[in-house]
Amino acid sequence: MPIAVEHFTRTYGSFTAVDDLSIEVASGEIVGLIGPNGAGKTTTLRSLAGILLPTSGRIVVDGHDLATDGIEAKRRLAFMPDEPHLFEYLTVEEHLRLIARLYTVPDFERRAKALIDELELTGKERSLPGELSRGMRQKVVIACGLVRDASVLLFDEPLTGLDPLGIRKMRETIVARGRAGAAILVSSHLLHLVEEICTRVVIMDRGKKVADGTVAELASHAEAAAGSNLEQIFLKVTGKE
Amino acid sequence: MIRASLYIADCSVRNRARVRLRRLREPRYLIGAAVGVAYLYFTVFARGRRPGVRLNRGRTGESRPLADAFPPAFQVAGTSLAGLAVLVLAALAWVLPTRSGLLEFSQAETEFLFPAPVSRRQLLVHRIVRSQIASLIASTFIALFATPFSGLARVRLALGFWALLVTMRIYYAAVTLTRARLQSPVPAVRRVAWLPIGVLLAGLAIVGTSVARELVQPAASVSNVMVHLSRATGTGLPHAVLWPFIAILRPQFAETTPAFLAALSSSLLVLAAVTAWMLTSDVMFDTVAGEGGGANANVGARSAAAPRARSAGWTLPLTGRPELALLWKGATATIRGTSAKAWRYALPALVGVMGLASAVVGANRMRGPASFVSVCAGVIAAAAIVFGPQFMRSDLRTDFEHLDLLKTWPMRAAEVIRGEMAWPLVLVSSVAWAGVLVAALFSGTALPDVSFASRWSFAIAAAFVGPALIAAQFAVHSTATIFFPAWVQIGTQRTRGIDAMGQRLIMLAAIVLSLLVFAIPGALAGGVIWLIFNRLVGDVIFIPAAIVFAAIVLVEVLAVTELLGPAYDRIDVTSIERGE
Repeated sequence: MPIAVEHFTRTYGSFTAVDDLSIEVASGEIVGLIGPNGAGKTTTLRSLAGILLPTSGRIVVDGHDLATDGIEAKRRLAFMPDEPHLFEYLTVEEHLRLIARLYTVPDFERRAKALIDELELTGKERSLPGELSRGMRQKVVIACGLVRDASVLLFDEPLTGLDPLGIRKMRETIVARGRAGAAILVSSHLLHLVEEICTRVVIMDRGKKVADGTVAELASHAEAAAGSNLEQIFLKVTGKE
Repeated sequence: MIRASLYIADCSVRNRARVRLRRLREPRYLIGAAVGVAYLYFTVFARGRRPGVRLNRGRTGESRPLADAFPPAFQVAGTSLAGLAVLVLAALAWVLPTRSGLLEFSQAETEFLFPAPVSRRQLLVHRIVRSQIASLIASTFIALFATPFSGLARVRLALGFWALLVTMRIYYAAVTLTRARLQSPVPAVRRVAWLPIGVLLAGLAIVGTSVARELVQPAASVSNVMVHLSRATGTGLPHAVLWPFIAILRPQFAETTPAFLAALSSSLLVLAAVTAWMLTSDVMFDTVAGEGGGANANVGARSAAAPRARSAGWTLPLTGRPELALLWKGATATIRGTSAKAWRYALPALVGVMGLASAVVGANRMRGPASFVSVCAGVIAAAAIVFGPQFMRSDLRTDFEHLDLLKTWPMRAAEVIRGEMAWPLVLVSSVAWAGVLVAALFSGTALPDVSFASRWSFAIAAAFVGPALIAAQFAVHSTATIFFPAWVQIGTQRTRGIDAMGQRLIMLAAIVLSLLVFAIPGALAGGVIWLIFNRLVGDVIFIPAAIVFAAIVLVEVLAVTELLGPAYDRIDVTSIERGE
C-alpha cells in the first residue's frame, strides 16, 4: 500500500491535533481529505511528508517506515504545501535543477521543459521568487513536486492562488497522475473539486476521522437524502447542519 | 490619525509586554530573563557601587559632560568638529543606498491603513509616532550603558539621543522621498527636489573651502590639526552652515541642566524643520512606500521592465554528492544576495581593520606601506577566523526558515548539516587564506628580524589552523541550532526582550566553551609535536603541528555532524522560535 497511516496521533503540548488516525491510500487512488478548520488535515499531511514527527503511531510510504527508513520513504514522496516557500535567491529553473539533483531525476531537461510549458511558467525560468506572483510561486512548488516520478503525491490546498486556467490544468494533472498509478492525498476546502476528482473521501473533525468512503458510501453513512452533494454530506457528518 | 496611531502603539506595547511576561512560564525564557537581569544589574546599576569604582563627577556632584570622555585634542575643536562629521554623514546619505525604516510599513499597516480614508502625509505621521518606542528604548539603553554618567545626566543623555535618533530617522526618510522625486515624470516635482540638494551642496562648498584653506597650512601634530579645523568651522559663515548639524549634538555635550534645556530647544527646532521637509516631500510616497514599501519598494528596480536574476556562473550538475548541491545553493544566494548595500557593513569593517592595522604598525614602530599591507591582511585573516562564523550565517541558522522543505528531502541529516556548513566554510576560509597569503608576502618588511623560513612556516601553519577553527565554529553553531532552535536567531528574525538577551548571553558562553573543548585534543597533539621537534627543526615544526591540529579538529567536526543526525531528525519544527 503506497500510503498506510496506522493509529497516528500528534499533539502540540496538551492539545491533540490528530487523534488515532488510520488511513490507507492505494495506487491510482485519489483520496480527498476534508474537514473544518483545525480538524488536523495539514498536521496529517505534514507528518506524512516527514516534516512533523508523530507523537505515536506509524506512517508507511511504499513499504518504507518514515521513522526508520525516512530517506527511502521521502524519495517516493512529493508534498505540495499551500504556502509556497521558495529559496529567495534561486530562479525557477534552479529550483527544479536542485530538486532533480536531490532526487536523481533522469531526463531532467525534457521533463522540466514539459512541466514549465504545462504550468505556464514559460518565460519565467530565470525569475527569482520575489519577481513572481503568489500563483506563479505556487506553480513552482507544484512543478518541483511533479518533476520527479513520485509514487505518493500529497497536496495541501493545491488550488490556492491559481487562476481559473491554472485550476483547470491542476485538476487535470492530479487526475492524470492518479490514472498513471500514483497514490494521491488531497486536502481542500473546495468540496466540489474533491467530489469531482477524488475516488474516495476522508472527513476529519477535531483530530479524528469521522467518515471514510466514496461519496455514495458517505451519503449512506450520513443518512443524507438521495442525490445529496458532498457539501451537504460534510455538514451533516460534522454536525454543522 | 494621531489618535489611531497612539492607540496602535499603546495596544502593541501592552500586548507585547503581556506576551513576554507570559512566556516567562517556560523555563528557557525564565532562565534567560534571570541572566539578562543579572547582566544589566552588574553592568549598569552595580558598577558604581563596587569598591574602587567611582563615577566621574564634577565639583557640583553632577556627572561630567560627554565631551570630557574625549581626548583633549578633540575638545579643542569641540562640537564644531562633530557638526562637520554630521554634515559629511548627511551628505553621504544622498549617495549611499540608505533607506529609512520610517518608510517600511508592515503588512498589517499596508492592509489596514493604506485603504483607510487617510492621506499619505498622515501615514508618514503614523510611522513617526510608531517609531518613537524604538527610539526611546534605544536612547534609554545608550544612557544606561554610558559609563561616566548617573542620575540626571543619564536622563539628559537619553533625551538628547532620542532627539538625535528621531531627527536622523526622519532625515533619511526625507532623503529617500526626495530622491524618489528626482525620478518623477513631472518636471515641477523634479525641480523642487533639487532645492534641498542645492542647499546641501552650497553648505558643503562653504565648509569645504574653509576647511581646505586651513588644512593646507602645515600642522605639527594631531592637536594642531584639530585647532585648524576648529578655526575653519568655529566662526563666520561655515559656523552658521554647521549650526543645525551642531544643534542636534549639543544636548549630549551640555554640562548643566539649564544648558541642556537650551540645547534641546535648538535640537527640537532642527527636528521640526526636518519633519516639515519630510512631510512636504510625500509626492512620491506611493513609489517609495507603496504596496508595503520596505525592501520590495525599490525605485530603481521598478523602473526596469523585466528584472532578471544575475547569472551565478555555475550550473549545478545533476549528479553528485547532495552536500555539493547545498554548497551551490549557498554560493548562488551569496552571489545574488550581495548588493551595493553590503558596503554599508563592509566599509565600517574596512575602516576598523585599517585603524587596527595602523595601531599595530604604530605600536611596533613598523615603517612603509608594505608593513601596513601585511598587518592589514593579518588583521583580516584573524578577523575572518575569529568572527567570520558569527557573521556568515548562511548555514543552518539561515536555512532553518526552510526547515519544512529540508525535512522533505531524501538526504541524511549529517549530509544536510555538512552541506549547509560547506559554503560559508569555503567562503570564510578563502578570506582567511587570502589574508594569510598577503600578510606573508609582505611580511619581510613588517618583520625584518624574523627569518624567511619562520615567517612562511607561521603562514602555512595558519593556513591549516584557520579553516579547522572555522569549521569547528560552524559545527558548534549547527549544534546549538539543532539542540536549542528556540535560543538561536533563525534567519533575519530576532526575538527581543531581556529574556532573549539573556538567552543570547548563555549561548555565547556555551559556544566559546564548546569551541575550547573542540580545540583541546588537537592543541595537545600539535603541542606535543612542537615540544619534541622544535629544537631539532626550528619554526618549521609549526607546519606539521598545525596539520595534526587541523586533522584532529576536522575529524571531530565530521564526527559531530554524524552524531547530530538523530537530533536533527527529532527536531520539532513547531519548537522553532518566530521573531516578533
